[in-house]
Amino acid sequence: MSDPKKPFFVGYLPAPPDLRLFLIVSIVSFVVIFGATGLLIGSTQDDPGPGAGQGRQTVTGVVEMIGYPVIHVTQGTDRIPTGRTLILSSGGKNGAVGRAAPLEGQVVQVSGLLLERGELDMVQLRGGNNGLQAADGNGAVPRPKPLGRWKLAGEICDGKCYAGIMRPGRGLAHRACANLCVAGEIPPVFVSSQPVEGSDFLMLTGPDGGVMPQEGYDAMAEYISVEGEITRHGDLLVFAMDPTTIEVLP
Amino acid sequence: MSVKYVPVQWNRNKWIYDAVMLAGVALFLWIFVELAPGLLSHERPINAPIHNGRAFGACAFVMLTVILCIGPLARLDQRFLPLLYNRRHFGVMTVFVAITHASFIIDWYFNFSPTNKYVAVLSANTDFGQALGFPFEIFGVFALIVLMILSATSHDFWMKFLTPPVWKRLHYLIYPAYAAVVAHVALGVLLDAQNVTFLWIVLIGSLAVATLHLLAAFSETRGSDTRAEGTDWVRICDAHDITEGFAKIARLPGGDRVAVFRQDGLLSAISNACAHQNGPLGEGKVIDCLVTCPWHGFQYDVRNGRSPAPFTEKIPTYDIRLHGSSVMVNPVANPPGTPVDPVPVPQEVLA
Ligand code: FES
Repeated sequence: MSDPKKPFFVGYLPAPPDLRLFLIVSIVSFVVIFGATGLLIGSTQDDPGPGAGQGRQTVTGVVEMIGYPVIHVTQGTDRIPTGRTLILSSGGKNGAVGRAAPLEGQVVQVSGLLLERGELDMVQLRGGNNGLQAADGNGAVPRPKPLGRWKLAGEICDGKCYAGIMRPGRGLAHRACANLCVAGEIPPVFVSSQPVEGSDFLMLTGPDGGVMPQEGYDAMAEYISVEGEITRHGDLLVFAMDPTTIEVLP
Repeated sequence: MSVKYVPVQWNRNKWIYDAVMLAGVALFLWIFVELAPGLLSHERPINAPIHNGRAFGACAFVMLTVILCIGPLARLDQRFLPLLYNRRHFGVMTVFVAITHASFIIDWYFNFSPTNKYVAVLSANTDFGQALGFPFEIFGVFALIVLMILSATSHDFWMKFLTPPVWKRLHYLIYPAYAAVVAHVALGVLLDAQNVTFLWIVLIGSLAVATLHLLAAFSETRGSDTRAEGTDWVRICDAHDITEGFAKIARLPGGDRVAVFRQDGLLSAISNACAHQNGPLGEGKVIDCLVTCPWHGFQYDVRNGRSPAPFTEKIPTYDIRLHGSSVMVNPVANPPGTPVDPVPVPQEVLA
């Protein structure tokens, strides 16, 4: 039985006077709860990292294919010194493998948006020949320097989002996006928990130096340890991971 | 109560309800979207689509949590019933907020690829074998589909069309949907987050939902409704126990609840379940000679279980008699709308 002493609310009638104070307190609490949770959650978002676009850059360099395309800069800009190695991608979640492979070993002009995060430099090429075309000049791919077999702890990310095209561009919420990027041939990177030869990230390839194998997708964005061969190409470290050694770390 | 279906039967209380709800949601979103970025000391800002997607997602979680707290709160304390009154509008608003969240995320994380963005939601991560890195999006998709179905069928038309028991069972899907939302947030955000504020809010919110439901269930089993014994006519209570204008509820041997009302010194027995959404009529009261449901105010003539014309709702009635001062009810319900002569309360009780 309802309590005869308690006010009885009927939706289509004015609220009983005894209930008004209770309703006013409820309304104020409701609005305060929403305002407070919005403030608490909104103002405690994690830092998305320093990756960011640095404007359009045009440089000349030599193309090397290491599973994914990179160029060794022979003629730089104020922002990109000669001798730097840049990873290449196209717009959206698309890589530049098909565009760069025919020009392997040749001198090219590269133009696009520079994305920069720490040691990681990636160029998102402009469309068509404006982004990548054969150029005059001399240059050669520097001789790769093997650094031996390593076991690294860290996270696999797609090189473009991590470099700052998305902020944040890593983590579990971003995992599906990273998979789409790498499936679209955007070069993956391994973000190491400890710097390797002064760099926190390494471009990632399969054990044979080709594209990242399926096991890499399954480990994307997780904290893992994995072994593989590290080679220095110009000033870029490349990690040819052995997918059989992947272990998820706590 | 309805004779003809209109999208919303507005009244002043519904306007106030919706205005307060919109004010709360607008405040949450304004603070999260406009104010919070200035308070974050990040070297580089979070991308706007991601920040906005988070704002709408977190808002939908808070809305759903509040919605699910209202039901048990109203069962524990009748004064919360006004919050229940127009809750369906709150639910529909939650769906719009959740869809906005999904749109921001799909148009950002799942866009710009050769794969169709909607296909990509389900195909980009298929690693179902582990908690860490689980395709948590699937939980969000499930919850969103359920919310859309519930909101599309929230109107009374659908309840009539599907029949109240089916409608009610369908709307129990809100619980798996809420569990899916919690899993979606836990696996997609909380496992990864450095800052634990949101973790605490999700913990407190989901624990509040669970605890309030347990408390309400506990208070109902321990509550005042008597269990009527007997196979033939069953004893409900003493005529003394029923206050003028109110009812005594009892559970009959078959499991149904009967509400015995006293009106103008006469006793009548009707089903405790309102024809609208099974609201507890016995917790209502007689207003203008009509039993008024505490949930949304549907009214019935206690002598025949019928809503006053032009309304057409009907509920079952029960035969009633007195044995001394004991109120006895025939546990076999009469068909909805069957008139039953009320029995006068004994003189000594009235005295
Ligand atoms: S009026 Fe809605 S349940 Fe009774």
